[in-house]
Order: sequence, then structure tokens, then C-alpha cells
Amino acid sequence: MRIIEKRKSLEPCTESGWDAVDLLTDQGLTEEEITSLKAVGGSFLYLKQLKKPFFKLESHDYVIKGVLGDSFFRVAAYREKLEEVLNSVEKMLK
Amino acid sequence: MRRIYLNNAATSYPKPPGVLEAVQEAVSDIPPSQFRDGNERKGEDLFSDCKCLLGQVLGIADTNQIRFSSGATESLNELFLGLHIPAEEIITTVTEHNSVLRPLYNLPGIAGEPVLLPCDKDGRVDPEFLEKELAKPAVRKKARAVMINHCSNVTGAVQDAEAFGDIAHRNGLLFILDLSQSAGCLEVDADAWMADAVAFTGHKSLMGVQGTGGYYVREGIPFRPVRYGGTGRESEKLKYDPIERPPEAGTQNTPGIAALTAALHWIKQQGIGVIREKEYRLLRKAAEELLAIPGVRLCGNPFSDRQGPLLSFLTEGMDPSDLGYILSSGYGIVTRTGLHCSPLIHPYIGSGPKGTVRISFSPFNTADDVTALIEAIKEIL
Repeated sequence: MRIIEKRKSLEPCTESGWDAVDLLTDQGLTEEEITSLKAVGGSFLYLKQLKKPFFKLESHDYVIKGVLGDSFFRVAAYREKLEEVLNSVEKMLK
Repeated sequence: MRRIYLNNAATSYPKPPGVLEAVQEAVSDIPPSQFRDGNERKGEDLFSDCKCLLGQVLGIADTNQIRFSSGATESLNELFLGLHIPAEEIITTVTEHNSVLRPLYNLPGIAGEPVLLPCDKDGRVDPEFLEKELAKPAVRKKARAVMINHCSNVTGAVQDAEAFGDIAHRNGLLFILDLSQSAGCLEVDADAWMADAVAFTGHKSLMGVQGTGGYYVREGIPFRPVRYGGTGRESEKLKYDPIERPPEAGTQNTPGIAALTAALHWIKQQGIGVIREKEYRLLRKAAEELLAIPGVRLCGNPFSDRQGPLLSFLTEGMDPSDLGYILSSGYGIVTRTGLHCSPLIHPYIGSGPKGTVRISFSPFNTADDVTALIEAIKEIL
């Protein structure tokens, strides 16, 4: 799976004032890929019981969230942290 | 996946029959030029018709004083600048949207700190709060205007505009009303409520497209337009008397105004009362069924008679933005989460810095939409 596009979220204020970017992928996210994101750091939430399982990785200055099988997920962070977080995410998914 | 749209308080979707056709016609035909050429009759009719219909829906008799804009934000900026009342001399509320708050805190020439009236836990501002504030000599001495958000875009609470208008006028203050969330879905009577100025947008319950809206300032109220330019008439005249209000300057958003006109015709045909009743039934169903889910808390009182077609809620143990994300990605249900651009109301209604989940209805929603939402939330929590 690879990231094919970074799209600025249409509703940035949804994430309480953070800058949000939706990362579009060439395939649906697998459980293995979701788990690999844990290495970025922060607390990890995985709601496996949902019809479409939801994950969230959260620290005090960023949030990464998405749904198993979707071809996109969201990264939201303070503006000055966003690039750094995006780089870490890309590294983990390589 | 079937998409269910419950974010009509942001922008209504879908649009009524006739709106798309009106836009199509407006961009396919020779453009009407208001008062400018042989095609003027058509242009004049479109713009005047739209203002006439707006007057009927908003309760404004003197429709000549309505001006088009790109939406409520532009309208409010133009109103504040044109009325030229310093922010410190304006009494407003904590329920306001940033389209009111940010101009007051930032607009050159008027920026300052307005007097803020609190609200109760439902987002309602008791008119008595205004009376109490005006009983303070320092406030009374300075105050020149009262600015009220008719319907909260966070809780849906509808303020008693008539009472605020009465208090404002008894105290010799201008009464300014933001109708963004109520125009088209609730009975509005700006004249009866003695509103001196109102702002509205076209893309919410007025069912038009984005980029349309307007404002109204009662004749005789000192108001200097912010924008001057070509109007297609009296072109030789360069300087206006300060009290004159020329028509809108520049080429108007004809496709948008055509869409708004078609939407207003549809609203009139349906009747505001019928629209309100339908949306209220959906709201009540949603509120009752949400309340029955353990861990869900409503913000506000959607069962009140004074309520617009929206509600906010919180869920125990889950951030509003996460729930919104799951509903959208997992179930195809579009809601709105966060502070809803109204930052000051949240401490009063018990929601935190992450805001709420908001659902909002249009006449095109159905009871099945509500059922799908409830089933999804039950599955998630």
C-alpha cells in the first residue's frame, strides 16, 4: 500500500483547530498497516467490534485516525508539527 | 453505501426541484444586465422578484432596502462597517457565530470588545439578561445596538427576537438580527420584531446555493455602504450624499440569485409552517431516540417550542470528531462535529473544547435517515 495523494481536509475546524490532511492510498488499509502506525507513537485506540473498525492514534500534538478497509485516513496536527507527523506516517507505511 | 446528509445547518442538500434548472438557465441564456441594456427587463425582474420573495419569507415590507451579498459573513461585515458602531457599543451574546464575533473583534474602525450576554444551558438568552445589562449605567451610557443570533447553530435554541427588539427600541438602541439559521425554516417577521438590520444567507434553509445571501437596513437608519462602484444607472454621478444607499455595486451573482429565487418559490409553495413541522418531527424523533441510548447526552433542549431543526449531542468516552468520522466513513452518515465556529457558547452548554456532534435536518430528510443514524450510534457506542 502506498500513499498516492495528500489532500487538505475540507473541514479543518472539525479537528478542533488543528490542520488536517486526508491521506489517500492506492489500496484499502489492512489491520497490519494500521498496527504498524503504532510506531509513530501516542495512545492507540482500535474499535475492532465495529462494522467498519476504527482506529485512532493520539498524542498531545497530533491525531491519526481512519477506518479498516478505507483508501484514506486522516492526520491532524498543529501546523508546525504536521510535516513531521506526515513524514513519520509515510516512513511507517513503507 | 447510501449517503445520509444531516449537515443542513452548514449547507442544505439536496436542493429543491427547479434550483438546478434555474442555475442552468442563468448560465445558458444571455446574461441579464440590471438596468444596463436591452435585456434589462429580465435582470430587473429576477433581482426584484428575489427581493420580493425574500421580503415575504423574512417579514420585510420595504424590499428595496435588501441588498445581495455572498452570504451571512459578508453581510455582517458590511453591516458592521456600514453602521459604523464601535464593538464596545454593541451588546451581543455568547451564542454568536464567528461571522459576528470576528468582525466585532477585528474590523478596522470598529474593532473592540462587545458586551456579551450569557445564555442558559440550552443556549437560550433570556431577554431579562439584556434588561439587567442595560441597568448598569456604564453599559447603558455606551450602548448603541443589540445584535442577536435568532437561532443558535449549535443547540438550535431560538431567541425571543420580539422581546429583544422591544427592549432595544425602548432603550433607543438599534436591533440587529442574524437570521442565518432561521430564514426558510422558521417563521420570521423582521418588521414586527422591529429589526433595524438583518443578515441572512442563501445556502442553508433558504435552499439556494453557496455564494448567495444578503442584508437589510431599515430606511432612515444611518448606514454608509462599504462598496461603491458601477450600478448601471446615474453613471455620471460620482459622489453620493452620505445618507444615500445606492443599489449593489458591480455585476451580481445572477446564477446564484436565480437559484435563490427558485428555492424561495419552492419554500413559499410548501409553506414555512409545513417545512417547520416536518423538520421538527424528525428532530423530535432523533432527540427521543438519542436520549434512549446509554452514554448520550443532548446539549440544549430540542423539545422546546423555540427550536430550530438541529441538535447537538455528546457521547461518553468518545470524542465528537471521532464519532463524526466513524459515522461518515463507516456508515455514510454526514454530521458536523467540533465547535461549529461558535466558540463562546460551549462552556455554557456543557460541551468542552472539542465541541459537539451536530445533526441538522432539511425538508428532504426522512424518518429512515433518523433510524439509520440511531442504529449506527447504537452499534458504535
